[in-house]
Amino acid sequence: MLMPRKVAHRKHHRGRTKGLTKGGSGLNFGEYGIQALEPGWLTARQIEAARIAMTRSIKRGGKVWINVFPDKPVTKKPAETRMGSGKGNPEFWVAVVKPGRTLFELSYPNEDLAKEALNKAIQKLPIKARIITREEEI
Amino acid sequence: MSETVLQAETGRRAGSSDARRLRADGKIPAVVYGHGMDPLPVSVDRRELRHALSGAAGMNTILDLTVDGTVYPSLIKDIQRHPVKRSVQHVDFIQVNLNEEIVVSIPIHLEGEAKDVSANGGLVDLAMQELQVRTTPRNIPDGVTIDVSEMTMDSVIRVEDIPLPSGVVAEADADAPVVTVLTMRTPVLDAEELAAEEAAAATAEGEDGEGAEAAPSADSDGE
Repeated sequence: MLMPRKVAHRKHHRGRTKGLTKGGSGLNFGEYGIQALEPGWLTARQIEAARIAMTRSIKRGGKVWINVFPDKPVTKKPAETRMGSGKGNPEFWVAVVKPGRTLFELSYPNEDLAKEALNKAIQKLPIKARIITREEEI
Repeated sequence: MSETVLQAETGRRAGSSDARRLRADGKIPAVVYGHGMDPLPVSVDRRELRHALSGAAGMNTILDLTVDGTVYPSLIKDIQRHPVKRSVQHVDFIQVNLNEEIVVSIPIHLEGEAKDVSANGGLVDLAMQELQVRTTPRNIPDGVTIDVSEMTMDSVIRVEDIPLPSGVVAEADADAPVVTVLTMRTPVLDAEELAAEEAAAATAEGEDGEGAEAAPSADSDGE
């Protein structure tokens, strides 16, 4: 599972997700990609599940890039605990995603199979997303 | 290398709301600069721009940008796109001297099928999508086509191996790989490995709300 090796602060504020992505909205490596259409948090497990779905689908002969990294810790208080006594324990890691962000890129010789693999990966994500390609119109 | 006429209008007002109104009218805010001229804010018609760039040269088309009767031979320096809609938001035109060398990026295309590579389970990988070349604007090639049919599992096509027309020089390192062969992992997993991977996928899929057992343990520097 993806997570930082070392962090400056163990617990983060939740933050707000406003606006569109500032960068990382195009394709840099692969022929196809998955682009987020909504803001949200992607957990390390969701990213891993999407990656596994994609690599299982293409079986062999492709290359996958993951463009987001879950570097934000999310805390939770234990069940049935009274409020107070400080912030809960870090439980999992998320990547903060804004609309327009390219989440994954894929290079694969067969376009139909590549899109099928990307669709399977999109099913594992908690936000609306779509497939993008290198061909862009003016 | 083709030259295409593109009409541009001056007198557009700066600011996001005026730019938004322009885009709603089917125009694209743009700017022309280069060769010592002061940057000139203009606007171009979206359909005309699309038509001008639809030739074989694509983004490297030399445009005769006509602004208030003055013709600026220009190339597209940069295009800003909307991050979600991918529509063009703004265009930078750079004025060029047709006899002076410039550095431009040209697309790389692959042709042929690397039968030896596919027979051995490899994948032909394009390491760079575009090649930077130095040439005069009239000599800019539409693209570079590389034949990969003779590639084997251990072959690499480098910048120095790409045939370029006379007067066109590659800017990248001669040793830089352009096309490589990726060796894929064997798809045959033994039963134990497959079961472990499936279990990992199952836990990853049923993630929401049950992440308690995988508490993160990144070391803290600050606290």
